[in-house]
Amino acid sequence: MKMKAKTREAVAGYLFSSPIIISILLFTIYPVFAVFYYSFTDFQPTESQKFETSFNPEEALSINLNVLLDFDDVTYEDVKEWFVLEDFIKYDLGVKLNDEQYESLVKNLDQEKLLRDFVDRKLNVEMPAKDFFKKYMRTGSEKFTRYIAEWVGLDNFTEMFSDQYFWISLKNAVIFSLVVVPVQTFLALLLAVAANARIRGRKFFKLVFFIPSITSSAAISMIFMLIYSKQGVLNKLLGLNIDWLNNPNTALGAIMLMNIWTTAGYFMITFLAGLQSIPTSLFEAADIDGASYGKKLFKIIIPLLKPQISFVVIMGIIGCMQVFDQIYFLIKNLRNITIAFYIYKNAFEFQRMGYASAIAVVLFAIILALSLLQKKFFKSESYF
Amino acid sequence: MKKRKFKIGLTIAYIVLIIYALISLFPFFWSALVSFTPMNYADETGTRRGVNIMEWPPSISFFTLPPTLFKAPASGENYAKVFEITPYGRWIINTVLYAVLVTFGHLLFDSFGGYAFARLKFPLKNFWFTLFLATMMIPGQVTLIPQYNLMVSFGFINTFYGLVLPKLTGVFGLFLMKQFFTSIPRELEEAAKIDGAGYLKTYFKIILPMAKPAITALGIYIFLGTWNDFLWPLLMTSDKSMYTLTVGLDFFKSSYYTFWQYMMSATIMMTIPMIVIFLSFQKNFVDTGASTAVKG
Repeated sequence: MKMKAKTREAVAGYLFSSPIIISILLFTIYPVFAVFYYSFTDFQPTESQKFETSFNPEEALSINLNVLLDFDDVTYEDVKEWFVLEDFIKYDLGVKLNDEQYESLVKNLDQEKLLRDFVDRKLNVEMPAKDFFKKYMRTGSEKFTRYIAEWVGLDNFTEMFSDQYFWISLKNAVIFSLVVVPVQTFLALLLAVAANARIRGRKFFKLVFFIPSITSSAAISMIFMLIYSKQGVLNKLLGLNIDWLNNPNTALGAIMLMNIWTTAGYFMITFLAGLQSIPTSLFEAADIDGASYGKKLFKIIIPLLKPQISFVVIMGIIGCMQVFDQIYFLIKNLRNITIAFYIYKNAFEFQRMGYASAIAVVLFAIILALSLLQKKFFKSESYF
Repeated sequence: MKKRKFKIGLTIAYIVLIIYALISLFPFFWSALVSFTPMNYADETGTRRGVNIMEWPPSISFFTLPPTLFKAPASGENYAKVFEITPYGRWIINTVLYAVLVTFGHLLFDSFGGYAFARLKFPLKNFWFTLFLATMMIPGQVTLIPQYNLMVSFGFINTFYGLVLPKLTGVFGLFLMKQFFTSIPRELEEAAKIDGAGYLKTYFKIILPMAKPAITALGIYIFLGTWNDFLWPLLMTSDKSMYTLTVGLDFFKSSYYTFWQYMMSATIMMTIPMIVIFLSFQKNFVDTGASTAVKG
């Protein structure tokens, strides 16, 4: 009886946790292994999808045979004579093949079956190229139905070393972190200390400071595109005439400023919650001792806010290393891109997913190292 | 003497806060102004004149009716125009669907998982828990490419399945819910157990109603994140009719990039719902949103 209750609990445990277990395995764990695998290949999404494109075999054949589609009196013997296999594979199929695939097709295409089906008018259907190969190849069709990316070993990683855009994008992400994180942490702390004073309207300030962080980065990018434009209000207010986003010397700085504007208020709330948990008796004791404000800041506030500061710093760094949306919306210059954007660019614009995966692996290693470093230095504080 | 010093500190605090409040609000204020500025207007003589939103100093007055923005009378016509020149209504529906489905998935599955990990004993529980903890360190860019390829091989590109499926659960929500459930006293559940209630009944009748604060906080957090999400919808949608608002904004930018007024109207429209949600649930945000993450 007792055993049964235990089993029941175990079953219930798995029933409750299976959706999240399955989802994490499929969409997080598998992708991590997959990205490592891709990083050693020249995975190209266009290659993997080219055999998915549909075509009409009857049309393709009639072009090759030079017969009209409404033929009636064509016999198998006729078409056998007219058929030019090499041309059919090279041009009429409409699929770009590599040499190996071409050879394999020339050798293994079942011409008789194909041409008989043509004469019997069985081919007037749209079908994906891979289904066509499956049906009309004697052997070797699996090479066309399943795309296997070519193994290139460490080529992607060695390429990265000499790829100037990789270094530029990594450098920009590092600069981003080195500038944004200290500034936003300091600003958030300053605002929190100010809001923690005995002021009126604390709630109002909290709400106002929080608003940028709940706005989508797409919307913020559009708003700042207006403000940063050459004729825009920022230049007018400063009496300058700079094309902030299109000048490679100012673009990254402009995005960093925008980023600080977005997140400082959010982190201010974190600090304020920490500040409000500091017992006032500590400050009163310091007052009795005649401690200056600077002394209170460095001897009480900062040491007691250590967990919050470490949280803000590490979240800031991780966020900065992954900046994407703002770059996508606002940066046209390859000199100002970040590493997250370069991954996207390679994978989805240059169609080089193998190379993009290798860069993603490097980014993963960097973020992992940072997280572990943070764990080592702030052993006592865990967030969960 | 001491009192004076204190007053100076308070004044500085006010100055800092007010300046930063202005900095926080100004970009929104400015883009709202532009969004309500018509593309052209009729002057006193009845001639149509184009509006220059870059004029400086800007002739803006709120004391006329309607207010004057860049010499022109304010109007909402740009907002209507956005619906005319783009499928903006469709984008709103897509975004709402996306955000609602994803939020619902998280609330259900994250809290299911949270309950299992907080209360039930099952084999390999610690293994799964450690594994989940480790996944927190994996940046989104790492899983992005294989996730995309998975959706391609499922044939889910440009469908709601592709948009929603990989986003239905998350370990952040799991940990949040687990932590909350652990803090609930066990007595009530035990009473329910004695009454013969099964696990599912106990979860829905007792656990879930008590978890309302955590559920609300998680729900808002996920809803906002999904509404504002850009990269995943960008990859998953290829038809204009499948776009979400953020992807639509990108399309809008590339097609109407000189029409600042339309662009700002589209931007303001997608921002306002979030501000409304934020203001109505502000307590959950400011009290739980940021601080739960730092709780020791």
